[in-house]
Amino acid sequence: MCEFQAKLIAFLDRELPSEEVAGVERHIEECEECRNRLAGYELVNGTFDAYCDAVMAAKMRRPIPHWVPVLASAAVAAVVMFLAFPGKRMEPPVLTPTIAAASVPGPMPVLAPPAPEPATHKKMHRRHPVPAVQERAVKWRPTETAVQIAIPAEAMFPPGAMPKGLNFVAEMSIAPDGSVKQVRLRQ
Amino acid sequence: MSDDSVPLALPLLRLAAGSLEVTTLYRELRKPLLRYLVCLGLTSDEAQDVVQDAFLSLQRHLASDGLQENIRGWLFRVAHNQARNRQKSYHRRFSEPLDGEMDFLADDATPEQRVLEKEKFRRLAAAVQLLTESERECLLLRAGGLRYREIGEVLGIATSTVGDTVERAIKKLAEKCNV
Repeated sequence: MCEFQAKLIAFLDRELPSEEVAGVERHIEECEECRNRLAGYELVNGTFDAYCDAVMAAKMRRPIPHWVPVLASAAVAAVVMFLAFPGKRMEPPVLTPTIAAASVPGPMPVLAPPAPEPATHKKMHRRHPVPAVQERAVKWRPTETAVQIAIPAEAMFPPGAMPKGLNFVAEMSIAPDGSVKQVRLRQ
Repeated sequence: MSDDSVPLALPLLRLAAGSLEVTTLYRELRKPLLRYLVCLGLTSDEAQDVVQDAFLSLQRHLASDGLQENIRGWLFRVAHNQARNRQKSYHRRFSEPLDGEMDFLADDATPEQRVLEKEKFRRLAAAVQLLTESERECLLLRAGGLRYREIGEVLGIATSTVGDTVERAIKKLAEKCNV
């Protein structure tokens, strides 16, 4: 074995006495075996350093608290419920007779005076005139899509709650009457 | 070994608690200290507590006109002792040193790079587990930029012993990693 091999790591770490450094440098230029060993030790140093960095990065990454996914799921459920059942909250009561009137087949003119209200609604006191609502109902076609929205997943979850690598966009088509026509998830 | 292995030569004579120099030291040494501690087996929170305690001790040390030479070695020694004290007081072992998750590669790495890196780290991790505690500590302190003399001061062993230990450890890793 080459006698300089015992000094290679100290040389690499700049721990050799200064009077020995020049001799080792000269030897490394001439000895291929020592050159290869030195390269190997440098490689080990670099890998060990990178591994320490990687371990630190992995350990210092804060785990997502347990309550975050629960809260995120609750928020998503609330959004879905809100969009899936909007009628009971959003639909004004005046629309009910209007839609009923518009859907009656027959020769009724489009802008006809309001039909007599059903008995169950007779006692209801209306402040707003029905024709205005009726006109709106005629212009709108309830089956037509009024709004299309796309919500990226990051917007639905708190920051950092989305698992890494998972992403999707929720596309929703909402009819003019507020009902959700279609919900589609895409990558 | 990183370039910061050159001994720190800061104007410590003017150093006072809370001064700019302490801030400079904190910025320079916080990360190497944290890395040493988590690689030693502490959790992230424990390591951060130990680093904060070490810098508080440094402030007290300097405020009481303590020695101002080799502050880096001093900080590593305090952090190392605090880590060991925690280990004793909690009557438990730290997690296995250098036992990190393997899912830490850069996002932009190709699948092939990921496989190669994982394999390289896997072999190194297996080799590190075969080292003695002293060999691991010497390597970790050396990777933190400490000279052999400083490592000896931290661990309470002779400089020549540090040299022998480092050499033995590097040769073991090189042999196990086939380099």
